[in-house]
Amino acid sequence: MTGFDLSGLLAFWAKRHDDILSLIGEHLLVVAIALLLATIVGVGVGLLVWNRPVGRSLAVTSAAVVLTIPSLALLAAMIPLFGLGWTPTLIGLTLYSLLPIIRNTVVGLREVSPAIMESAKGMGMSPPTVLLRIQLPMAWPVIVTGVRVAAQLTIGIAAIGAYVGGPGLGQMIFQGLSSLGSKNALNFALTGTLGVIVLALIVDGLFTIITKYTTSKGLRA
Amino acid sequence: MTLAVVLESDTTAALVDPQARRARFWSPRRVATPIVVAVVLLALYLWVANMTLDSIMQRTLNWDYILLRTREHLVLTFVASALVAVLAIPAGIVASRTRSRVLRGAILTIANIGQATPAIGFIILLAIIWQIGFQTALIALVAYSFLPVLRNTMVGLSQIDAHVTESARGMGMTPNQVLLRIELPLAVPVILAGLRTSLVFCVGVATVATFINAGGLGDMIVNGLKLQRFPVLIAGAVIVSCIALLIDWLASIAEDVLRPKGV
Repeated sequence: MTGFDLSGLLAFWAKRHDDILSLIGEHLLVVAIALLLATIVGVGVGLLVWNRPVGRSLAVTSAAVVLTIPSLALLAAMIPLFGLGWTPTLIGLTLYSLLPIIRNTVVGLREVSPAIMESAKGMGMSPPTVLLRIQLPMAWPVIVTGVRVAAQLTIGIAAIGAYVGGPGLGQMIFQGLSSLGSKNALNFALTGTLGVIVLALIVDGLFTIITKYTTSKGLRA
Repeated sequence: MTLAVVLESDTTAALVDPQARRARFWSPRRVATPIVVAVVLLALYLWVANMTLDSIMQRTLNWDYILLRTREHLVLTFVASALVAVLAIPAGIVASRTRSRVLRGAILTIANIGQATPAIGFIILLAIIWQIGFQTALIALVAYSFLPVLRNTMVGLSQIDAHVTESARGMGMTPNQVLLRIELPLAVPVILAGLRTSLVFCVGVATVATFINAGGLGDMIVNGLKLQRFPVLIAGAVIVSCIALLIDWLASIAEDVLRPKGV
């Protein structure tokens, strides 16, 4: 049983703000790299399978299966292959991000009205050109929403990554656990948890801006 | 009778003929999941059975230990999910009945923040301020799944076409009859989807319950890692993943079976 002490927490933050900030930075970095990888892979897979029923359900189903696997199990199962550290966290987060991104890419590409694609074809565009110059830009807001969902998901999962030696605020949470009983235990765990929540909310806000500025000009409301 | 027609013409599902519905019920994924899980578990068994185990591995890679941990894991998952169903669905109904927009907005905001909270942080915080052990893990699981299920219940009830409830009232139904006979059946798919998510989620969070001494299959993963016995780690990770897949599979069947016929 540990009581809460606000002045103690503030003193803790004042003393360790360097650590806290660098952990926040690491947390952001690992999530950002994982999202970048997952976006490249997920959108690529989506572009390949959106028009193939078998490939489509195969891609979405396997990504859904990955998301069902408990995060501690997936992260730990990669240790024999990749050892401790950033690598298992990075791969795990990338795998978990795939489902929302692939699914939204497929949905976005399929939602483009056939009339628009027909007119693009009538203008002499080949199917790959229609896909990349017409469908992809029109599907982009939906795809970014998928990345946004993946970001919310991975910011939380990254906290568990600290157990397999991964970077980020999870380290503070686990430090709180391992110092259970000492007076700083609550400060560690609270700082880590609050940090993750704040990070998730800020990143969610960032995505509103990202969506606005990466959407093709003609589509902006 | 008239009402049933009104409802059915509102939903595209009514246009699907019984045969197509049966085909959708036995989708490839529905058929493949138990087969894949069985094959994976068999492969795991053969791999472990053909391995010479040292004394440390023998202590965990035996039926008694594995069944005990699996039981702990399942008890934690199902008790938490049942509590969530009993508590969060009525709370969601009450919350959606309220006239106060402020209260409803507040609940949805809290639910969103709750979703941003990392499960591991929440469960460890609870262990620090209260105690370690099974009860703490159970409370953390319930508190954590409560908001998503409550929100799904609210969303499920609020997305019902106003024309439908209006015609029900026009037929002379009391508000309670509208709720029980029209709104709840129509919201069932969304509510069940919320419960399914929370069930799978509970399997995952029950894995990290090992950190606060609440048992479960996470014990195998953590022991395997601490003692550098990777077969133990892999066995724990594979078994818990198979449980998650099977529970998701069962929940998807329950979703189809429990969904009201017209919807």
